[in-house]
Amino acid sequence: MSNTHKRETNNPFDIFIIGARKGFNIAINNLMPNVVMAYVIAQILNLLGLMDFLGIVFSPAMTIFSLPGVAITVLLTAWLSASAGTGVAVSLFAHQQLGITDITILAPAIFLMGSQLQYMGRLLGVADVPKRYWPLLMVTSILNAIIAMLVMRVIIAL
Amino acid sequence: MPSNSDESNKVPIKIGMKAYLSLIIAILFFSGLFLNVDGMKWLGAFDFTTLGGSFGTMQNPAKNTFVGEAGISAKAGFLFALSLVPTVMLALGVLEIFTHYGAIRAAHKLLTPLLKPILGLPGLTGLALITDLQSTDAGAALTKELYDEKVIAKKELIIMGAWQYSGAGLINNYFAIGSALFAWLTVPVVIPLILMFIMKFVGAIFVRIALTTFYKRDFTNE
Repeated sequence: MSNTHKRETNNPFDIFIIGARKGFNIAINNLMPNVVMAYVIAQILNLLGLMDFLGIVFSPAMTIFSLPGVAITVLLTAWLSASAGTGVAVSLFAHQQLGITDITILAPAIFLMGSQLQYMGRLLGVADVPKRYWPLLMVTSILNAIIAMLVMRVIIAL
Repeated sequence: MPSNSDESNKVPIKIGMKAYLSLIIAILFFSGLFLNVDGMKWLGAFDFTTLGGSFGTMQNPAKNTFVGEAGISAKAGFLFALSLVPTVMLALGVLEIFTHYGAIRAAHKLLTPLLKPILGLPGLTGLALITDLQSTDAGAALTKELYDEKVIAKKELIIMGAWQYSGAGLINNYFAIGSALFAWLTVPVVIPLILMFIMKFVGAIFVRIALTTFYKRDFTNE
């Protein structure tokens, strides 16, 4: 989208339309392809039995956050791409492998550790943060996500 | 309402009541405070989740929306993703309005005095940090500029990087991508957002401490 038509108006209805149009573009260009991909990957993992395997292997670690083992697939995918992680969460929810409390616990973690691979280039590379500290920042993000899941667990229990 | 249309082309410095009001209303709108208030159903007109609405049902009203039941793989994913589109449109449409009336500028103003004591960063880094909430790329570009102009030192650059890296593009990503999950959150939409915002600071403080202890020798010459 070009910036030429940006905010020529002060009419709140027109401004809403501009935003809603952005939302539609994001939904069509980012969300839908990712969700379709996530559904297909989830189906492949299911057919191969890998989903169950990951679920069993990680279920002890995930109990710390009172999440089922399959939640690890959301986190691993989110690390590569927040939209793909969201897609996996949506797909697992549709297959009743995650419930609404699980989704709520995972939501902040998806974005706190989300798209790290992509943002290495787009953020750390662009801002010229010395490479020596990239691992530190990455570990920090994962710690942030872990703490956030623990806090969400507490908030939900309230 | 200001009528001169070129005011929004410049970066506005003055932050009036309207901007603060817009920030407060934005927070209330997404807070879920007006969701299902007993005997005051009309308050739902000011609540994000209520306005998100719901689809009608099909054969089995208890659980079927138009997405249907027992669909699998690409076809199920497509229909499901389609059912998420209205939430995303509503979220970004409303966000655009709040941004227009200065909610983000007000947030910047409120954040600035916190930067020095909490992160050891000069106040003028606030704009780069707030920008990161909306756009990872713009935030990164502003940060590089501050470093190139020697406004911040290497250590501050890394702390800023830490703040931006975890939960990068927070507001935009949460409302654009995360809104796909909003329908199932058991807490108000604004709670995860506040938590993530706080965690950005927690992470940056952690990095600040790491730099002054574990990596101390890197900065002895600065």
